[in-house]
Amino acid sequence: MLLKVRDLTKSFGKLVAVNKLNFDVNEGEIIAIIGPNGAGKTTTFNLITGHLKPDTGSIEFQGKNIAGLKPYKVCRAGVARTFQIVRFFPNLTVFEHVLLGAISRAGLRAKREELTEEVDNILEFLNMEDKRNVLAKNLTIPDKKRVELASALALKPKLLLLDELMAGLNPAEVDECVNLLKKINKDLGITMIVVEHVMRAVMKLCERIIVLHYGNKLAEGTPEEIAKNKKVIEAYLGEGVEYA
Amino acid sequence: MKTIEDRIKTVPPTKLIPLIIFAILMIIVPVFASGYILFVAVLALLYASLAASYDLLFGYTGQLSFCHGAFYGIGAYTAAILTVRFGFTFWEALIPTCLLVGVLATIIGYPALRLRGAYFAVTTFFLAHFIYLILLNEVELTGGPLGFRGINPPEPIGFISFDSLSTYYYLVVVFFIIVVLFLYTLVNSNLGLILISIREDEVLAESMGINTAVYKLLAFVIGAVIAGLAGAFFAHFFRLLHPTTFSWLLSEMVVIITLVGGAGTLIGPIFGAGIVTFLLEFLRFAPELRYVGWAAALIVILIFEPKGLIGLLERVRAQIKKKG
Repeated sequence: MLLKVRDLTKSFGKLVAVNKLNFDVNEGEIIAIIGPNGAGKTTTFNLITGHLKPDTGSIEFQGKNIAGLKPYKVCRAGVARTFQIVRFFPNLTVFEHVLLGAISRAGLRAKREELTEEVDNILEFLNMEDKRNVLAKNLTIPDKKRVELASALALKPKLLLLDELMAGLNPAEVDECVNLLKKINKDLGITMIVVEHVMRAVMKLCERIIVLHYGNKLAEGTPEEIAKNKKVIEAYLGEGVEYA
Repeated sequence: MKTIEDRIKTVPPTKLIPLIIFAILMIIVPVFASGYILFVAVLALLYASLAASYDLLFGYTGQLSFCHGAFYGIGAYTAAILTVRFGFTFWEALIPTCLLVGVLATIIGYPALRLRGAYFAVTTFFLAHFIYLILLNEVELTGGPLGFRGINPPEPIGFISFDSLSTYYYLVVVFFIIVVLFLYTLVNSNLGLILISIREDEVLAESMGINTAVYKLLAFVIGAVIAGLAGAFFAHFFRLLHPTTFSWLLSEMVVIITLVGGAGTLIGPIFGAGIVTFLLEFLRFAPELRYVGWAAALIVILIFEPKGLIGLLERVRAQIKKKG
């Protein structure tokens, strides 16, 4: 078991954003957390990565409780993430952006040449060599997300949390992204939790889906099970679940 | 802004020539310049070291602080008190001065840097004033409003004595070059990129495994120690210390110099220091008014070229390239 979440609870005032959430993530898995807006998906991510402190509950990562640790410590433990609203270093080039991830992992004394090679490999892996010397602020949104992903990969995480990585992509780009994530999962052995609204991608990508609704876990299962689940369809009321 | 690799690539052909010219100019200044010009040049070099070290904190790490001048003052008084009262030589006094300024900066910076943005800036502003009040009122230690007297020039090294203006000038040039080389190496190192990432997006840097609190403190302390050293050189150059020299106005000047020159460029604040120091000297006939004029100039520059003089220079260069 890579990640073990038990009784995780977080309230903002009277609003219970995440309520006694339990779930496990096995090594090598790709799981999705889905749910309508305000279901507590991003809050769950923020609790895991230390951007929020849980009220109660535990988060065990590789057998170590990481609940309430500062974000940089969670990252060093091996959990990397991307943000729902893309975050990037505006005035760094793509190369420097990813290099920072490599430096963060390898330490201050790491040799530039070795890190440079590593960064270039990651950029090649993500087909970004041509953007190498472009400032992050001058990239398109999908490319900014790609840089965020590349920087996360440079951290060589065990677990990667992707918060709506595919929002705003067209269907062709979504398919490309799904394949890329599968490749990252297989080739680099990185376990993933994705929060995603693009059902098409979720159905293709994930082995297991957790559905949140008003902070509670509504259902958990394989994509097929979730697609047939009545409670899930009700929760999405009107929106309806797209069948892949 | 150029990438690290670009910087390294472009250093030999384009940047070395102006640097060499600048270095030769600095070396031959005492030959043709009057004593007065030389005197102002020493001050300009000390301000340049001060502004360059502040750029590490503000321009690179993105922390707007208003107490950099206070560390200059602490350094000046510490070195002076050590040499005059405790019989240290100037050279011996440098190390304990560094240590004391470093420790004080850590004690001040650790809680202050927990605040962000404007809250941090305001806190440092009052810290600067607090230190000024100590310098003013601890009469037994600092001489208070009467000033601190009896400071001697640095002891000679071998046959080089530092009691003439031109030899002191060369001493400060050496100090300045060491400071700039140190800072240049630092900002282009792995550590430099980490500091820049904090400026660019602190939340992202933190979530990428950077202990931002420690690195911000590191930049604060390194900047303060360099400022303190510059203060020690000032004390043994001017040989009379007065609290008003180190009032909040000095910290303000450092911020202005950095902004005018171009924050986050290292070279910008250095030129900024040169221009500001000489300008202020030439405007001495209107001691109060010059700050008003200066403020107006600052506003104009920041409206039309927020990246300061370096930004202006780059824009002009781009224009020329376009036409040529």
